[in-house]
Amino acid sequence: MTGINARLRTLSVPAIVMLFCSIAPQFAAAAPEPEDNATVAPDMRDVAALDVSITVFDPGVPADQSLHRDLQVFPLIREIEAKLLPFVLRESLANTGEWGAVRVVPQLDVAAELLMSGTIVRSDGITLELQIRVVDASGRIWLDKLFAGVVSDDYAQHDNESGVSGHQKLYNDIEQDLRLVRSQLGNEALNNVAEISLLRYASELAPAAFGDYLTSKSNGTIELRRLPARNDPMLDRIQRIRSTEYVITDTVDAKFRELHSEIASIYDVWREYRRKAVDYEKENARWVQATKSDAPRGSYEAIKNHYDAYKWDRLAAQEQDRLAVVFDNEVGPTIRAMESRVAELETWVEQKYAEWHRLLEELFEAETRLEDS
Amino acid sequence: MRIQCVLILCSSIAACSQHPVVNDEMMRFEGAMPADLSGSWERNYARGDDINGALRDAYNKLSRTIPDRRGPADPRIAAPSAKDTASLLALARLTELITRPDVLTISQDTHEIRIERKDDFAMSCTFYDGVAKGTDNAYGTEICGWNGAQLVSNLVLPDGLQVTHRFDNSTDGQHLRVITTVSSGTSRVALTIRRFYTKFERPSSEFNCIETLSMKRVCSTGEIVP
Repeated sequence: MTGINARLRTLSVPAIVMLFCSIAPQFAAAAPEPEDNATVAPDMRDVAALDVSITVFDPGVPADQSLHRDLQVFPLIREIEAKLLPFVLRESLANTGEWGAVRVVPQLDVAAELLMSGTIVRSDGITLELQIRVVDASGRIWLDKLFAGVVSDDYAQHDNESGVSGHQKLYNDIEQDLRLVRSQLGNEALNNVAEISLLRYASELAPAAFGDYLTSKSNGTIELRRLPARNDPMLDRIQRIRSTEYVITDTVDAKFRELHSEIASIYDVWREYRRKAVDYEKENARWVQATKSDAPRGSYEAIKNHYDAYKWDRLAAQEQDRLAVVFDNEVGPTIRAMESRVAELETWVEQKYAEWHRLLEELFEAETRLEDS
Repeated sequence: MRIQCVLILCSSIAACSQHPVVNDEMMRFEGAMPADLSGSWERNYARGDDINGALRDAYNKLSRTIPDRRGPADPRIAAPSAKDTASLLALARLTELITRPDVLTISQDTHEIRIERKDDFAMSCTFYDGVAKGTDNAYGTEICGWNGAQLVSNLVLPDGLQVTHRFDNSTDGQHLRVITTVSSGTSRVALTIRRFYTKFERPSSEFNCIETLSMKRVCSTGEIVP
């Protein structure tokens, strides 16, 4: 028997609720609904405007280090891109006004209404390839697709938009594909997504109270078995806790915004270098081709040409390696400061989550016991 | 029967001539790297070969490869053809160019050795789990390995052109020897030259510097926060 449980036995239910409300004092208590209609979806919201959580991307760095050079993968840069690009995608989605709250989150949140994750397949300054997967709270896969964008020469010369750099079409394509999937689902299905999302969250936090509202199917999706009453006090507490957690999530999201504003311009300089490196490689290939047949085989000019072709290509590759380190020199401290702050927030949420979880289970037990007696 | 023997002999010679400079055994090692070559090295001009001497040796070697068709009373020395001589001279010029740097900076950690040279690309030898990973691009292939305590780097380019460097240091770690051999498919003989280097300490700077993308090189007498 825990200490809090012992205290709960001595308190009336309203007192317990008052005690619980003090956990999240920044939110006013909602008035209980008079009717007992079974729904958990918010009343006033547009059901189509689902909330979207975008996780930090998988950097797509092969575990085999020996492949990095061949695949032109700079692990440090990829780690930065993995944090930067989700924010650009977030802005693209948010700017359409078609979606609810769009947030960048550091970890997978299976209870999110729409969870978007991505892997950077290729990013070389000119071409960007992202494998994007979007799953809703019911486990329905909305998208699992490779999106690719190429910066045109014209755009590269005139682009001044930090952090986007010619790939806006790619982000727009993702958003439009999402909208297309949404248009194929009816309002009922979308409403279900919101309800399942809240109940998944509730069942994780208070499995004793909400564990049997959902059922998992063999194909991995989740269905509603039944709904709690709208004025269920436990659900009300869950919603308050979720709102509190959203405040923290929004703080984390703001950290990603700060990161973006601080390093986007430097990231653009890096990408400009990468573009020039690709141009240089093409120029070197042209030069080798043009000077190839001029000198007789075995002559000094011919063998020096062979040596120089290799040398200039290696020098260009080594210059890119150097610039990758230089980029990290500049943005590394900002990244690490953000990671540290996000980790603090996550730790806080984890601690609170454990506390909320325990309190809710004990409250449920106390309320059930009171009802039974 | 005689034809078969000739064919076997020819194929044996061809096989011998294709022996890799860096073989599989040299490309793997266990534990720590066999030698520590790290540091700043400056050329010791008092030691090593001069390019003319190396060219003379190679020319004499080339002359010995010419079939001797002189009669017993012929006093003339067999001379290589103009084409052979031109190929050898070309190798000598390239060797002189490649071995010109008077300072080498070698950095070494548990899995990579990097040899930086002025006006040339940095030779890099990377080992993953003790196995050397070669470097290649559209123009050539660079492989490396350890032959005992000697680091061997072999660059293979078109037309049979090969540049091989062998690095080893003295027992006290203060002297570095680099043997460079350049060969090509158009020259009968390779050209080899030895260079010696002495370790030196770079003077420490009173400035702390850091390279950045947006501000290039930033230096300060205090701690640098980008």
